[in-house]
Amino acid sequence: MLDYEALTKAVGDLDEEDVMSKLEAFVAENPSHEEAQKAVAACQSGMAIVGDLFEQGEYFVGDLIFAGELLTNAIEILKPVLGQVSSEKIGTIVLGTVAGDLHDIGKNIFRSMAEAAGFEVHDIGIDQPAEAFVNKVKEVNPEIVGMSGVLTLALESMKDTVDAFKAAGIRDNIKVIIGGNPVTKEACEQIGADAFTTNAAEGVKICQSWVQ
Amino acid sequence: MSDAATLAQERTQIINDVLEGRIPKRVPVISALTYEFSVEYAGLDLKTAPWNTANFKTVCDKICQDFYADYFPVIHLRFPALYRTLGAKNWIVGSGGFMQHPEVEGLHVDEYDDLIENPFNCIMEKVLPRLYDNLNADPVTRSMTMAKAFTIFSEEFGTIGAVTAELSAKYGYANANLFTAAPSAPFDFVADQFRGFKNISLDVRRIPDKVEAAVKAVTPLLIKMGMPASEPGPNTGVFMPLHMPPFMRMKDFERLYWPTFSQVVETFAKAGLTVLIFMEQDMMRFLDHFAELPENCVLWFEKGDPKLAKEKVGKKHIITGFYPVTLLHTGTKEQCVDKAKELLDILAPGGRYYFNFDKSPLTLGSANPENIKAVLDYVGHNANY
Repeated sequence: MLDYEALTKAVGDLDEEDVMSKLEAFVAENPSHEEAQKAVAACQSGMAIVGDLFEQGEYFVGDLIFAGELLTNAIEILKPVLGQVSSEKIGTIVLGTVAGDLHDIGKNIFRSMAEAAGFEVHDIGIDQPAEAFVNKVKEVNPEIVGMSGVLTLALESMKDTVDAFKAAGIRDNIKVIIGGNPVTKEACEQIGADAFTTNAAEGVKICQSWVQ
Repeated sequence: MSDAATLAQERTQIINDVLEGRIPKRVPVISALTYEFSVEYAGLDLKTAPWNTANFKTVCDKICQDFYADYFPVIHLRFPALYRTLGAKNWIVGSGGFMQHPEVEGLHVDEYDDLIENPFNCIMEKVLPRLYDNLNADPVTRSMTMAKAFTIFSEEFGTIGAVTAELSAKYGYANANLFTAAPSAPFDFVADQFRGFKNISLDVRRIPDKVEAAVKAVTPLLIKMGMPASEPGPNTGVFMPLHMPPFMRMKDFERLYWPTFSQVVETFAKAGLTVLIFMEQDMMRFLDHFAELPENCVLWFEKGDPKLAKEKVGKKHIITGFYPVTLLHTGTKEQCVDKAKELLDILAPGGRYYFNFDKSPLTLGSANPENIKAVLDYVGHNANY
């Protein structure tokens, strides 16, 4: 029988060996779909702990990357016993790195943390023009758009993208969050985004507050 | 003596003073505007202009005319012709024309032992062909590619050297050579070029012993990369742009990053070089470590607390940076100048400070040139001791 709390703690501690051995033993016992879902939820709670420790300055970006990998591998082990029951989705996010910027580390960290928090994330990739964001929003009708960028030139592209949302008449249907090294409160206001963050864990919390 | 020569003498003196820990007559302005920003400012197209070396002089002359500086103000690091000739995957052009470093994997996880055993051979045989498509060829083709690339490299640097000297004489800039080479810290070298940001973050947790051995193995190569060919004169610097520390836990930093990095810095300092260290993102956690480096390193800060930095490293090293480029993009002229005043008040007392932004503005869209001019003019004409 899997100790869900211990699993959550092991994920929070980023103890890969412990997480994997717990899950392998669990899967070998042929658990029900419902039990498997609980295991997934336990891992996701572990990710929330990772996010908190990151915000407290205990963990750093390297740890978030490792946590993302750990969660992906954990879900991979659980897949055969998960069945078709999909976990409940709390909202939809369209995510991408804006035009001119090729960086994706921050975007990917945010994606794995947002997914762990229950969001369905449509990641359109790096160096994406405003039209690509607009088209994806029209296609999947998300509550939230996340724009990422590391270089200072990203700020201009973020503004272009928000302007394109306005021109397409969809700006009022979505909340826009911008993230990455150059974003500030002032940049956020100029761009016309609803929120900004340089911290993926905080970003996920902002998104959660929007869909509650 | 001509006006420009007099000016150059004065500027050389203030830069020499600041780099050697004396209080200069006024706070020097050393702003490294990127060539990409400069190209766009000069009204040329970023997608085509950097291919033609002949543009370098026109572009830089325009910058020199319009922006205050005590030292040649343009820094050119990314050469599309060079990287295209090599078929580079580690430097590619984004849709806006700005060349950048994407996530790459030059070395697979099961190849650490090769790197540790013989780093030079491993780089030549495994890493370079993976990072540069056109070196992944038969020996004759790849020798030709290497020869072509080296010719481009020599021509680009020859032009930069000649134009820098010519315009420095014309505008009376300081006689200094602050960016003679740009070697990475050994850990960053392994992270950025060999394993990638994601992979190294996993390796640090899964196989720290291998990472440590690899970082040690490449250290002599990086020392070689930055060492001067002959005895360096005054005001000669080597540039080390740091990358990974802000993303690492302290215990990993202390074990995997600091020992080889500090060894490299000590070696350069002993050779008579000023070591200019770019402190990417927020490195306040590591100030006590940096305080241990040999005296008079330049610490170019991006983010963090200027007061804390001044207090912890400001008596031993030279501080610069901290001025947010983002403000140059979003702020009014007045706000921008006020920010410069605020930083001068904190960082200038006691010397060991020169003015620069927290990083180089990358493109014309990333910082309002009128704000840059206002700030540089203000500091250049008002920061007297």
